[in-house]
Amino acid sequence: MKTQLPEQGPLEIPRFWRTLEERIETPEAQRAAQDEFLPGAVPAYDDVHGLPPQDGFSRRDFFGLVGAAAALAATVACDRKGQGTIVPYTKRPVEVVPGVANFYASSYQEGRRVYPVLVKTREGRPIHIMGNDEHPGVKGKTSPRAMADVLRLYDPDRLRAPLSEGRTLGWTEAESQLRSALVNAKGAGRPVLLLSGALVSPTRKALLADLKKALPTLEHLAIEPASGDAAEVAAQASYGQAVTLQPRLAKADLILSLGADFLNGEDPEALAAWGAKRRLKSAQESLNRLWVFEGPMTLTGTNADVRVPVAPSRLGAVAFALAKDLASKGLGLPANVDLSSVSAGVPAELKDSAKLWSNLVQDLRRAGRKAVVLCGTQMPAEVQQAAHLLNAMLGSEAVTIQAAEPLASVKDLEAASKAMAEGRYATVIFWDVNPAYTYPKAAAWKAAVAKVPFRVWIGQVPDETGAQCQLLLPENHWLESWGDFTTPGADVLQQPTIGTLYDTRQGEDVLLEAVKVLGGQAATSYHAYLQERWQRSLPAANSFEQALHDGVVKTVSKEVLPAFKGASVAAAAKRAAASKAEGLELVLFPGFATFDGRHANNSWLQETPDPITKMTWDNPVSVSVQDAQALGIQEGDLVQVSLDGTTLTLPAVIQPGQAKGVLALALGYGRTTGGVAKGIGANAFPLTGLDPASANVRQGVRLAKTGGKKELSRTQSHHRMEGRDIVRSLTPSEYAEHPQGHHHAPEPASLYDEQLFPGHKWGMVIDLAACTGCSACVVACQSENNVAVVGPEQVARGREMHWIRIDRYYEGELENPKVVHQPMLCQHCDSAPCENVCPVNATNHSPDGLNQMAYNRCVGTRYCANNCPYKVRRFNFLEYTAYKTEPGILVNNPEVTVRPRGVMEKCSFCVQRINDVKIRAKGEGRAILDGEITTACMAGCPADAIVFGDLNNPKSKVFQQVANRRAYRVLEELGVKPAITYLADLKNPAIEGGHHAS
Amino acid sequence: MHRFDRAFRFVLPVAAVAVLATILTVGWFTQPDRFAKGYAPEQPIPFSHELHAGTLRMQCQYCHSGVDRSRHAGIPSVDLCMGCHKVTRTDRPAIQKLTQVANSGEPLPWQRVHTLPDHVFFDHRPHVNAGIACQSCHGEVQTMKVLTREMGLRMGSCLGCHRDPHAALPPGSKITKGAEHCAACHR
Repeated sequence: MKTQLPEQGPLEIPRFWRTLEERIETPEAQRAAQDEFLPGAVPAYDDVHGLPPQDGFSRRDFFGLVGAAAALAATVACDRKGQGTIVPYTKRPVEVVPGVANFYASSYQEGRRVYPVLVKTREGRPIHIMGNDEHPGVKGKTSPRAMADVLRLYDPDRLRAPLSEGRTLGWTEAESQLRSALVNAKGAGRPVLLLSGALVSPTRKALLADLKKALPTLEHLAIEPASGDAAEVAAQASYGQAVTLQPRLAKADLILSLGADFLNGEDPEALAAWGAKRRLKSAQESLNRLWVFEGPMTLTGTNADVRVPVAPSRLGAVAFALAKDLASKGLGLPANVDLSSVSAGVPAELKDSAKLWSNLVQDLRRAGRKAVVLCGTQMPAEVQQAAHLLNAMLGSEAVTIQAAEPLASVKDLEAASKAMAEGRYATVIFWDVNPAYTYPKAAAWKAAVAKVPFRVWIGQVPDETGAQCQLLLPENHWLESWGDFTTPGADVLQQPTIGTLYDTRQGEDVLLEAVKVLGGQAATSYHAYLQERWQRSLPAANSFEQALHDGVVKTVSKEVLPAFKGASVAAAAKRAAASKAEGLELVLFPGFATFDGRHANNSWLQETPDPITKMTWDNPVSVSVQDAQALGIQEGDLVQVSLDGTTLTLPAVIQPGQAKGVLALALGYGRTTGGVAKGIGANAFPLTGLDPASANVRQGVRLAKTGGKKELSRTQSHHRMEGRDIVRSLTPSEYAEHPQGHHHAPEPASLYDEQLFPGHKWGMVIDLAACTGCSACVVACQSENNVAVVGPEQVARGREMHWIRIDRYYEGELENPKVVHQPMLCQHCDSAPCENVCPVNATNHSPDGLNQMAYNRCVGTRYCANNCPYKVRRFNFLEYTAYKTEPGILVNNPEVTVRPRGVMEKCSFCVQRINDVKIRAKGEGRAILDGEITTACMAGCPADAIVFGDLNNPKSKVFQQVANRRAYRVLEELGVKPAITYLADLKNPAIEGGHHAS
Repeated sequence: MHRFDRAFRFVLPVAAVAVLATILTVGWFTQPDRFAKGYAPEQPIPFSHELHAGTLRMQCQYCHSGVDRSRHAGIPSVDLCMGCHKVTRTDRPAIQKLTQVANSGEPLPWQRVHTLPDHVFFDHRPHVNAGIACQSCHGEVQTMKVLTREMGLRMGSCLGCHRDPHAALPPGSKITKGAEHCAACHR
């Protein structure tokens, strides 16, 4: 893949483009558009492995066919006797009917965020995760990583029994080792260090308090390497305590993001509110507006109405200038705020766009309390403080500030590392944390840890930290554990949905045991401990069983909100003014797939394309278009990123829209342990800084080409649909003024008889205005439909198997393009081109409008894929799944066939769910209700951008949405009559040609 | 001997016989119901449907209770058997074996008699709810001492009935046809 950037921009550009190659129209890109499969995808023309192009019948094909014929004959003639066994339950659990799914409420913690979820189980196996609809915030939605975490339960790399110095031992022996270490430490009065993740659980907090009582020398550090230390520093400065900020976008008419990526799928509540605000039914409704100032291109930036690339080091200056400008225009400053060091007027970064600046100031003043300023937790502390100040000035209603348990910063870890090196601690316990990987100076850390006489590790998959510990205690997955959490608006419970798969215990039970041996009073198990606490605190009318059933107990926050401390501003404003962009600036952010590395062993997430770069299985460094041009860097070039004596060699991708002088790199890759994670990408933690105020934004980075190249496992150039009218984006005024301009084209005549759908006709509407590109649907579909993972080499050849993909289109200039995301899946065309060309009739139409795919009939000619204008058919080039054994196969949905090699597959509209609802409704003698059938992507979409239903039912939501004036069908001019209608994207720019908020 | 005589007299007839034999052998091997029908494996417990469903007139759904709630009719759990057999016929060796299984909690692997390929997602619910008798597919189970497969359970068996379900349906049923599209069973 060669992407030589042009010296000057091309004169004429296609309106929307997906890749730089496409935009620049390289010959490779033009050739790639011609073929269904990438070069090398089809083995007969294998130029990847140096085989000569073959025509006619090769020796290899001959033997292949002979083998296949022999296998076929053997299969046909084989004895079908011995059909296997059926093993019923010996004692059937009352709630289990084999073949019927049960749902349990539980919850999942990631960093400080808690996801209340429903877990779908079949015959006692958790197979699918969705949001808990009882929770007032998330309302049935959850994040892609929470959904994918069901796979971690069945991770074959999990530690299955306690391990001591490489020797497997029983829990009794393991506990006695731990006991003697703790008792000795207590006796000698020597400190014990416990490192764990964020404390969001009240019962876990109580347990740690008990442990502290029993072991007064205990020191506890809660670390979350991806949470952004700068957010902690800023919160301490602005509010004098640790806080979490929850945006309430439902109340926001105007959002200003300062490098905040609140639409990246992590926050289902924000996405739901965003979706609700963007799904306009008519042009009369008003649209909110999102301003984004950011360095790297984030998912939030792609959804911006106005996006301004600004280096993160200069964001603070911009934000304080905004505060000063607003104050000068009459917006009151909180007490003790001193902005005298801030120069008045338009900041230097925006000198060329003074109009934009005045628009922003005007917008903020007009929206007032209905405006909110959000700042990314990775941004320098002064930027976050500026955001706090702006929200206080605006009196924003659209963000709630809640007190939180403080987190240890990288400074605290540095201190701990020093203390360990000096021999302060008798014992160190690592509980579900991996500082040997996440700490910036890993070598120093490891040397310090080695000085601690007894090192204990509690976790699931042995990791870099575990490698250094004498005692490894295997922990339950959260789907096997008890727990509880505090979330805004509700307390939530976590309950096991399966017995422990291996000889594991939950970390809390290990600590509870420690409390007991140290002479403290404690319950028999953490379950009992938790239940006892809950029964004390639950209102009399509520039973613990009911709370478990619902998973949530709604709470009314009685806490006094922390007040903003104005005095902290002056210093922050000075820091912001002094912060200069020196050389290249590197932004380190948690990986979309990996977070802080904890998900690196999850192949579903590794293979989900990054929503922006569309990279899988790697973390390339994103370089801005300008820098790439200046340094002569092409896509896939191996580059060296060096800072403070640390050098990483990794591939570069050129990111349109990234601010000049900014590099972006995802954390959480480059693990050295784990069957999936090992060796994927490069570890960027060594590049994070030791100054908590700006640990994730580093200056003075050097970038150099090595001369090498790496093949990128990137999906954005796959399955392209050439330069046709595929995505549409409107401004509100275009929406209002051109009702016909974006409406259905006249239907072309067809040679085929019209399909009739007397009963139901299933269809879907996807609202591009609500879709943020977060890829939750991709993960939901993967989990529901047993979609195979193929690995980086196969992805590079265009063989990824996702049934739904998110196409990301750019529009306009390279330096700051507009972006539209479009989920693309089988369109279930009424006159489907794939159906006509199938020689064995394996794909054809059902009377309810589904384009069906009968795997057992498919012989793998791939004609259908070749004839599909939407490029949504996926072929099993190799045996991706069928060879798998337990525990990997336990995650499979038993309602969906596992497809073998040589078979074509594609989106089925979750036909298993349709059939199930149909049969149940029929059994109950009633009609199917609208909204009763949810496809996995629809249920997973936090923004409710996807609606599925019966197009023959005039009362259905899909029927009504099809009538929206934004509605269009992709490639309608081909006459294939797709069953999916898209609603055009809406952008609400503030400047000329745009619509001014009414 | 003419140089073709040998070919006509020997090679051709032998070849013809060989071809015919191949066709017949393959045809016999591949006949759909050759192994399916009459399959009656030995079960770990010699359970008699004739006794339970026939003589005692127990309802099928008493044991196969999933049939109207789930895709699978289900095989009764051992504790269901023990509901009666804690006290009934405890002198029989088979019941003693059953008791031992129930007490130990070991799994009881019954030999599967009726089976469908993995890519077929047959659902009992609509069939039972439409009033189709179990015997339509499973044969006269209430007369079988050893459960025996009566139907080949090939796609033809399904489609034959779906195209003309008249005979299997109870009198007065409004149903005239079953689903014939692929996704009804394959997904």
